[in-house]
Amino acid sequence: MIANDLLKGTLRTIVLKLLADNGRMYGYEITKRVEELSAGKIKLTFGALYPVLHKLEADGYITTEKEFIGKRVRKYYTLTETGRSWSEQKVDEFLDFVNTLTYVLNPTPA
Amino acid sequence: MIAATIDDNIDRIKSDLVSRGLTYDRLLEDILDHVCCMIEENMEEGFDLDSSYNLVMGSIEETRIPEIQHQTLLNLDKKFQRMKSFTYVFGLSSALLAIVGAFFKRMHWPGASILITVGIVLVILVFLPLYFITSHREQVEKKNPAYAIVGYLSIALLMAGALFKIMHWPGAGVMIRVSIGFLIVGFIPLYVVNAFQKGGKEKVRLPYIVMLLVGISVVMLMTNVRISKYAINIFLEEVVSNEQYLGEIETRTGRLTEMSHDSAYADKQSQVFRIHEKAGELQVIVDELRESLLQSVDQPGATIQEVKGKDKVIRHRGWDATMDYDKEEEFIRMALGFRDMLNEMLLDPVIRCQIEDHMEFTRKVWPYEFGERFAVGEPFIYNYYLLTKISKEIALTEFVSIQYILRH
Repeated sequence: MIANDLLKGTLRTIVLKLLADNGRMYGYEITKRVEELSAGKIKLTFGALYPVLHKLEADGYITTEKEFIGKRVRKYYTLTETGRSWSEQKVDEFLDFVNTLTYVLNPTPA
Repeated sequence: MIAATIDDNIDRIKSDLVSRGLTYDRLLEDILDHVCCMIEENMEEGFDLDSSYNLVMGSIEETRIPEIQHQTLLNLDKKFQRMKSFTYVFGLSSALLAIVGAFFKRMHWPGASILITVGIVLVILVFLPLYFITSHREQVEKKNPAYAIVGYLSIALLMAGALFKIMHWPGAGVMIRVSIGFLIVGFIPLYVVNAFQKGGKEKVRLPYIVMLLVGISVVMLMTNVRISKYAINIFLEEVVSNEQYLGEIETRTGRLTEMSHDSAYADKQSQVFRIHEKAGELQVIVDELRESLLQSVDQPGATIQEVKGKDKVIRHRGWDATMDYDKEEEFIRMALGFRDMLNEMLLDPVIRCQIEDHMEFTRKVWPYEFGERFAVGEPFIYNYYLLTKISKEIALTEFVSIQYILRH
């Protein structure tokens, strides 16, 4: 398991990247996908996920479409145009950060 | 088949979520779907609907739902987000103002006091309330408004006390002590209890507590003026010798004034009389200041030898409480008047120089304007010693002036 406080700032980036790769997704699907991709190491709770999704929607980075599944509504989230370019930028930034960290934590002998 | 069963129960699940505090429709849709997905997953593993439903709902803590809703709504609340960023920017700039002021003060540049005062007052009146309001609003369960209130009171009072201390306004000691009391018996326990109640979700921010305690100890050190026994005894010796000299000088001055009654000095009598009178008035006030200092120790009739180390008592009551500011101002005004008078009477540069030397305390003890109080925060015995030294210097000034006048 990866500790929650390590995940905190990166959740938004993860969500953006998933939506960029998979087109439209609904909330449960996102948590499952994250779990799958991280081989069970990251368990995204809905408590962490939905506040972020709603904020992204309010800021205009993603939009929703509703579909009825039986009697209940399912909301699919998709990136908007601004969301897409922003997502690329965020992911690049983050990868850069991770690479730097790797260097710092595992210095290769010169 | 399965989907149908869930659909049959959809209203029940929905009302269950609503009864747990999920009232925001857009979030309700999301979480309803999410919970249904979780239930379906369990059912695929062979549980029936009811036990699967109980399993899922049981795994969601009671407080979790309102927390999520609260967080979501706050995320969306533009006004709140603006308020939050305003709070931080504002706090940072006020603190910066105070720091720049502190730097100015160190450099003795003008305007330092205003910068420090404005900075700290802004922190106390604007930043801190905003900070406590925003952080209180961010909590889902409004646990205890006492937490925010005690926190605000103690930190505001501590900062106000520090400000008063820096500006040498009376009452600083009391404010600092009360606020530290608030912190130790109120804020820190509330903080720790609060954090532990939240369980693993939010860790006790240990660095904050450590910083707080370090801050408290620094403030305590600032107000602490203990000196070693050795130093106390040196000052006491000085006090004794100053008093002996004073006696001797006064005897000699007495002889001189007696001499001046001789008709040979008729033209000089009025000058000698004025000097003697003014010096006497100054000595009375110094004695009163010394007396009030002694009395602050709370041991009626005690001599300085008996209470020389009573620093602690003075500190607890605060020098502010013992010092009569009006008297102090009266004294310095009179001392300056005395000096001016002598400067007018005695035109000889050498004797003037001598007088300047003796009256140096008017510049050394009160080097700046009146805002800079006499000997604030110094050890008790040191303040007492200063007063005996001033007494001696006044007597010396009187003696050399009269002697000079009678000789010339």
